[in-house]
This record gives sequence, C-alpha cells and structure tokens, in this order.
Amino acid sequence: MSAAHLVAHLYVDHYAWLHGWLRRKIGCTHLAADLTQDTFVRVLGGREVAQLNEPRAYLMTLAQRVLFSFWRRRDLEQAWLEALAQQTESQAPSAEDYALVREAIETLDRLLAGLPLRARRVFLMNRLDELSYPEIARQIGVSLATVERDMKRALTQCWLVGLDRGATAWPT
Amino acid sequence: MNAAALDPIAEAAIDWLVRLNSGCVGADEQLAFARWLQADPRHEAVWREMAGVLEQPVAAIRQAEARQPGQQRAAHLVLGAPARRKALRSSAAGLLLLGLGGYVLHRQQPLEALLADMHTATGERRRAVLADGSVLLLDARSAVNIDFGAQVRLLNLRQGQILVEAAAAPGRPLIVRTEHGEARALGTRFVVRRGEAGSELAVLDHSVQLTAANGSRHNFAAGRAARYDAQGIVPLADSAAALAAWSQGLLDVRDRPMGEVIAALRSYQRGYLRISPQAAALRVFGVFPLDDPDATLASLAETQPIVIRRFAGLLTRIEHRNEIS
Repeated sequence: MSAAHLVAHLYVDHYAWLHGWLRRKIGCTHLAADLTQDTFVRVLGGREVAQLNEPRAYLMTLAQRVLFSFWRRRDLEQAWLEALAQQTESQAPSAEDYALVREAIETLDRLLAGLPLRARRVFLMNRLDELSYPEIARQIGVSLATVERDMKRALTQCWLVGLDRGATAWPT
Repeated sequence: MNAAALDPIAEAAIDWLVRLNSGCVGADEQLAFARWLQADPRHEAVWREMAGVLEQPVAAIRQAEARQPGQQRAAHLVLGAPARRKALRSSAAGLLLLGLGGYVLHRQQPLEALLADMHTATGERRRAVLADGSVLLLDARSAVNIDFGAQVRLLNLRQGQILVEAAAAPGRPLIVRTEHGEARALGTRFVVRRGEAGSELAVLDHSVQLTAANGSRHNFAAGRAARYDAQGIVPLADSAAALAAWSQGLLDVRDRPMGEVIAALRSYQRGYLRISPQAAALRVFGVFPLDDPDATLASLAETQPIVIRRFAGLLTRIEHRNEIS
C-alpha cells in the first residue's frame, strides 16, 4: 500500500475522534476542522506512516503541536494588534503589510524560541532597531564582548532552527 | 540544538554575520569578508542561504515599517516581551507597557479555559446537563470547574458567566464560587458573572444565599441582582432578567455606559475591539443581538455619535465623532 493510501486510511479511521478531541479543546467546530486538517498535513510531512504502531498516540502528539502553534499564533497576533493600537492613532497597516508582518513575527518567534532573554534582546535591538553593538552594550549595561557572544548565539540558533524548518513547519 | 551541529563553513559565515552587523565595520574588514566569500563557492552558497533564513523576516518588517511607521516597534515589543520592562523608559513606552499588561492577562485566558472542565470559545454559548440533573449554560469565553462531592456540589467559575438551573438535592447544596464570594442555590435558577474586580449575581427563580469573600451574607429573591467582592455585597438596581439576557442571545442594557456594552460584545467578536474613553462614556439603551456583533455595532452607530473603523478585518475601533477631525 502506498504512503498516500495509508494516510487516506488514517484519515478515514481517525478523523472523527481527532476532530472531536480538538473541538473539546477549543470549543469551535469549524476551527477544530481546520486544525484537524493541519494535523493530517503534518502526518504527510512526518515520518514513515507505514511504521505507525500507535496511530492514535501519534496523531494526538501532532494535534497537540498544532494546537500549541495555533494558540501561540493567536497570542502573537493579539499582542501585535494591541501594541499597534496603542501607538498609531489613526493609521493601520494595509492588509498586505498585515499579512507580511504577521508572518515575519511568527517566523522570528519560532527562530528565537528558547533563546535566553538577553540574547533575544540583543538580536532584536540589532536586527530590528539597527543599533550598533557599542550602543546595545551601553543600553543594557554589558560589555561589547558579551553583545558579540549573544549575537553569535542568537544567529546560530536562528540558522539551526531555520535549517530544521521542513520538520517543524507551522501549518499555513 | 548546539554549536556542535554547525559545520565549519556555517560557523565562519555566522562569525562574519556577527562582525558585519556590528554597526562599526572598517574598510579592511569588508575587504577581508569579500575575500572569504570568493575563496570557495560553498562559502557564497552558505552565505546566501543564511541571508535568506535570517534576513527575510527582518526585511519584511522593515519594509512594512517604511510604508507605515510603528510596526517595527510593535514587532519588537511582541518578540522581546519578557525582557522589555527594563529596556523601556520613556512615557510612551510606559503606555505600551500598560497595553501589553492587559495582553498578558488576556493570553492567560486560553490556558485557564483549557484547564477548566467546561469552557466556551468566542461567540459560543454551551448548555450542559450535569450529573445531578442541574442544567448549566455557559456564556461565550467562559470557563467553569465542576467539583461535585457527597456533601456539596461546587461550581468554580474561572471566567465569564454561567446560568445555573439547580436540581433539588436536599442536604447537598449547589454553590457557585468565585474569588469574590459564594452563591448558594436554594432550589433555583440564577446567573453568576465573574469580572476582574468583582462578581455579579442575578436571581431568576426562588432565592440565592450570597456570601461575599469578607463573610457578609444576604439572601436575594427572584428578580434581584447584586455585586460582590472582598469588600462586601452591593445590591444592584438592574433587573435580574436584563443581566441574564445573554442566555437568550441578547444584550439588554438600560442606561449603561457604552464601554460596558462593548465589553460584553468582546466575548462574541473575533479580533480586537477597542473603544475610546470618550465613546465609552456615552449612555446606551436597547436590546441587541449578541450573536451578530457587527449588526449590534451598526445599530449603535445609527443612534450614537460614534464612528466605527475596521482595520485588516481584525481590529475594530470605536471613537466619538468629536474625536475625528
């Protein structure tokens, strides 16, 4: 049986309970349907389906990741809208910029996840605010060497997470 | 994820990136970098790939910033969230912190709700029959923990509001608890709403014994409503039926500030709903459909001096006409 067939069987056998499980978690049947689809999309991008001994446990793990991503994305979006609403009095971004920036924030959040706070700040001050290392060192009160070390750490993590993108892709 | 996973070319490229981003690169350093780049085709390949991964999201934010200032700052605030308190000093930054403080509260809600026994999402009301035959109706964005024991039937309201139709069970009272106090059903139908600063009780049938967190106690009969917190109990002039109108999918307000109306709609509106202080102070009368927040906003705009603006489908701002020049 081909991988596509196996996924099709998995889909038919497990769609209903997975959808029910996600619906109980988020309380909205339409959203749960979207997230169930996302979960099966992850199955397609995941390891060999033929080797699955515990399909329910496997699907549940993937669905939990999908759910976590969903909450995280929603939190980021709300935080961003809130920050925007607080500072721009009359203007709001165009729909295109909105989509562009939302995606960029999600990507950066994923790349920087788990990085120590100071390294995260150094990265954002340098890449977003375009501050020089001496200026960053002055503002946060550390040595130049520390700023350089934090930058290297941040860039290394971003690069490694970015390389790993295929395996941990966010549902789109 | 550690440095050992990095191949030597990638590590060299990152070292270059660290140096070139410093903001103080000399001509000799740039020359040395150009030499490294040309020394091996693999150098250039890795460099290009790295620039794609690392620069693309940053470039997207900068481009958007150029068209509409403020987005970069917002992005920085969101991404640097846990550490930003020390970094910000200006008063404008203080305002932003206030806003994000609210956000931090809000983002805890999904977690609260997920951990609760029963919860509802935005725009959803849910009815449930409990083990003892009591009926529970949850308003949108509400969460409740159910803890039924042999001595007492306890409902812990974590968020939002519930309508309870308590089944009779002699010697086993049904109690709705919030941190502001307890409402004990005396064979009855009633609503409890948990707000940030206090909770509200509205009695629809029979009576409810209310005990505030400070120990003060009072019985409320059908039709009566009260607000309670750690300071005690304050009877409300509002009719209990109006406070329970959400259970019919309606919002029934009589001479209430528009800010309260918008607060009630938030549980039904996806995206972000903001109201200016001037608009929030306007007085509102009327019965509005909760399940159609857009229609409610439209009918408010017909009768009140407000302007409603929507941004990117997710942010809705309500302002007083006087504020728009």
